[in-house]
Amino acid sequence: MSDKEEDDIPRFSELDSNKLIKGKERELAIQIEEDIMKQNDTLAEQIKQEFKKYNIKSIDIVGAIGAGKTAIMEKLVEKLSPKYRILVICGDVTTRVDASRIEKHNAETIQINTGRECALNAYHINQIIKNKDLNNYDLIFIENVGNLICPSDFILGTDKRVTVVSITEGEWVIEKHPMLFKMSDIAVINKMDLADILETNVDKMVHDAKKINPSIEVITTSAKTGENIDKLIESFGLN
Amino acid sequence: MLSERVQIRNLKKMRELIEKIEKTLVQNKEINASKIQNLMITLLKTHIKGLHVENYIGDYPTFIEPVYLGDNVKLGDDVLLGPNVYVGNNSKIGDYVQLTNTVILDNVTLGNNITLENCIVAKGSSLSLTNLQEKNCILMGSADSLEDLKKISF
Repeated sequence: MSDKEEDDIPRFSELDSNKLIKGKERELAIQIEEDIMKQNDTLAEQIKQEFKKYNIKSIDIVGAIGAGKTAIMEKLVEKLSPKYRILVICGDVTTRVDASRIEKHNAETIQINTGRECALNAYHINQIIKNKDLNNYDLIFIENVGNLICPSDFILGTDKRVTVVSITEGEWVIEKHPMLFKMSDIAVINKMDLADILETNVDKMVHDAKKINPSIEVITTSAKTGENIDKLIESFGLN
Repeated sequence: MLSERVQIRNLKKMRELIEKIEKTLVQNKEINASKIQNLMITLLKTHIKGLHVENYIGDYPTFIEPVYLGDNVKLGDDVLLGPNVYVGNNSKIGDYVQLTNTVILDNVTLGNNITLENCIVAKGSSLSLTNLQEKNCILMGSADSLEDLKKISF
């Protein structure tokens, strides 16, 4: 990317809802919001091209707080780190708890604290990859901030997006948060080890995901027991 | 994670390097920019690891690790630090500031909406400016306007 192009892409944070703004300023607010989204998409496309150039497979993992994203990441990294050189980028409002958990399983990690922003955006990822030698990696995982709403606004340029929910969130969690499932390639329903105790209607969850996005692949897992983690790895096109 | 012993040894080396930079970077003395640039790169690439950000004062900023904050650092609103950032003790960073690959030494004041990339700001400098964008340079002294800014490019 040339310096000129980079200068054209300023950083952005989440905008307040433009519905709070009346009159003339409303038009300006809408314009700014549209520009931000366009800039994110432009950067995401550049990130995609960079990953392609270095032959890196990239997966973005999103999901609610406590759904088990990090626990799944730990299992994935444990299984994949003997075969692939992995970089895991972890997003959280604050702390480096997730990066510390994951790096114990032999992957390089980078923690991003987003402060008042509720999702990672393409600018964050671009700042990292332009400061890294991408020759050193085969596989990049991005674990987004725990949230089922904001990440749907920002694509990151990854090959696949995975949305993780768990049966402890209740059987309505998917139908209540359709946006993320619409734009995801894989839906993971985690904590299946608790299925007998909770009696959550998992079939309804699978049905909802398929109804929202007929091409989505739904995988039921337990990060605790390791159930279907291999199936998830296969769905990434890895083994 | 690095063992505690390795971390302590690394911190000691980091402080030695900072002292060396500070000694090289003194007002009214001829500045060897490429030497400082090399020291800065060594500091950022070798000695700044993870997030050392526990003791700052201010709102929750955006950190992209590695970032090291000294003691009593004050951060304004919507600040973005990282990757590869060192901020020394008692430095004050204004609102909307973005720093990447940058070293801010002790007792520095940065105004609002300043963006620095591959820069080093000398000890005690005060850049009370707004809307400043700089790349690849040493900044030093006291400046209330662009004309006052003492800048040495790498």
